[in-house]
Amino acid sequence: MMKDSELRTIERKVYMSFFEDGVWDIFLGLFILGWGLSILTKAAYLPGVSFIGIYFVMWGIKKWLTYPRIGYVRFSSTSRRIITIRFIILGTAVLLLGLLAAILWGIGTRPQWLADYFPLIFNGMLAAVVCFVAYWARVNRFYLYAALIFLGAVLHQWSGIEWEFGFIGSGGIILLSGLGFLIRFLRKYPRVAQEGKDGDQ
Amino acid sequence: MATSNSGGEDKRSTPSIDRLIHEPARYTIMAYLYVVESADFLFLVKQTGLTWGNLSAHIGKLEAAGYVEIKKDFLGKKPHTVASLTQEGRLAFEAYRREMMQVLDELPPSR
Repeated sequence: MMKDSELRTIERKVYMSFFEDGVWDIFLGLFILGWGLSILTKAAYLPGVSFIGIYFVMWGIKKWLTYPRIGYVRFSSTSRRIITIRFIILGTAVLLLGLLAAILWGIGTRPQWLADYFPLIFNGMLAAVVCFVAYWARVNRFYLYAALIFLGAVLHQWSGIEWEFGFIGSGGIILLSGLGFLIRFLRKYPRVAQEGKDGDQ
Repeated sequence: MATSNSGGEDKRSTPSIDRLIHEPARYTIMAYLYVVESADFLFLVKQTGLTWGNLSAHIGKLEAAGYVEIKKDFLGKKPHTVASLTQEGRLAFEAYRREMMQVLDELPPSR
């Protein structure tokens, strides 16, 4: 007989199975990488374009790699509502962050402290958003990613490494980590050709 | 509520415990379906660790009892089966849990 806590464990197991494929890590890695490349190439549109591109990559991985391996589950309407609200909050936070960066970077006369510490402030805010993801998704490795993102700015501030390379470096590490999770997932769950055809009958 | 299913197994052979849900594999299936809205067979096989054959047999019994609803469609050319708990199944699962807790609470302390 399961207690309520065990039912919650099942719910959590179901939920966590959708983080096993590393897709969210790949999403974050590519997004941070896109941000770094945008600063490097001075192409302001890049984060926005990469965001759309990454969405389709994620959709493709989920549709063609994840669901045929672990199956499809539809969460309860309450869970779906909570997830949607969190996505709206997350999207708004990223949008506001981009807007804030554009405004602060675009104004002619910035206070000296802002000019000096802008990368640290910006990466700090981005890391806070990633920490929020780690908290609501309860995926602890995202705290590490947040620390990596912040570290990029710290290194820029005190060791002279270009700001964009902090993004490219942390984005690259996060992307590699995500790909590692994806490879592990693909090995752990072989594709099932057809229902009932896994050789056990 | 029905008192038997197509397999001839009594759902309530004791006064309060639903024997159909009492079977561990069926309880596990119902627990997974209870926390979601619906799940396909592949998902249930992966999560419960049952074989396809076992899962089909147990789901068949739960469906016959009116606890589970099955929808079959195709993903491309491949058959795709989705299971969900019916309202009756959800209520039966909650009742089973309540009854089992009551039974366990009434046990005398071990010596």
